[in-house]
Amino acid sequence: METLSFEFPAGQPPRGRTLVGCVGSGDLEVLIEPGQAGKLTIKVQTSVNGAEQRWQHLFARMFDGQTPPAMAIDIHDFGATPGVVRLRLEQGFEEIGHD
Amino acid sequence: MVNTFLAHDLLWGMTPEQLPVDAPAWVSESISAGQPVVVRRALSAPDHIAVGVRGRLREQRFATVMSIDVISRRVKPEDLCHVSIDRDVPAVHALNQLRPMLDDCGWVWGVSGSAGFELASGFQALHARSDLDLILRAPQPLDRLKAQALVRILDTAACQVDMQLQTPFGAIALREWAGPARRVLLKNAREACLVIDPWEQAA
Repeated sequence: METLSFEFPAGQPPRGRTLVGCVGSGDLEVLIEPGQAGKLTIKVQTSVNGAEQRWQHLFARMFDGQTPPAMAIDIHDFGATPGVVRLRLEQGFEEIGHD
Repeated sequence: MVNTFLAHDLLWGMTPEQLPVDAPAWVSESISAGQPVVVRRALSAPDHIAVGVRGRLREQRFATVMSIDVISRRVKPEDLCHVSIDRDVPAVHALNQLRPMLDDCGWVWGVSGSAGFELASGFQALHARSDLDLILRAPQPLDRLKAQALVRILDTAACQVDMQLQTPFGAIALREWAGPARRVLLKNAREACLVIDPWEQAA
């Protein structure tokens, strides 16, 4: 079990909060809450050790060329593939966009 | 031979010689010891099947393919519902506790994950903190209210129980289907995607 932290430049905080995903192997749970203006923080708790680089790449690619909202994202990962991680994050962003 | 193997099936017959040369030593040890491999949800050549090898440690999982010709034995999750083992761990207590209720639910159910592996092979895989992984064959839609009722049953168990619903188009987590999410994660051999109706063919 490993806990990782990441930070990216961001815009304004979103209004809503959301919880998407599921506890269970090959999946992850993503909690998104409003963060501090200008800052996107991500905390990842993962059952797979030694994957910091992979997470960093995945986030960097997702937020590349855009200013994401200032969110505080809390991830509980149970060995999800990068594809599943991306789907869950997109699902979460969509949910907070709806509020 | 028609490829009728399903994710979570356990297969015997693989030998260390069939492993890729770069496979870690523990993979070869697991296979040599006579452990079965687990069918994975992934595409493979018609005469091969995507499988995973388990090691002793949680992070020891190795993905490879197995030639269908060498399969000597197959055990499906539903073959394990009524296999009992004498092990004092929460997952086994949970299984014993849930068995009559699941038998009454009207759907075919099965045991997967480490419990299924141990029940089928006798190789110790369960420990005190193991969850219980179950599958439910759901060829027809199981509505969200029924899913919630099932979750309530599973939540009476002695440990965390994760059940996957196997629809004709892939697998979803019962817990997510029972929850408020409009779209749920469907996994099949080709991809993982978010869908509104897991019983509907994707466009």
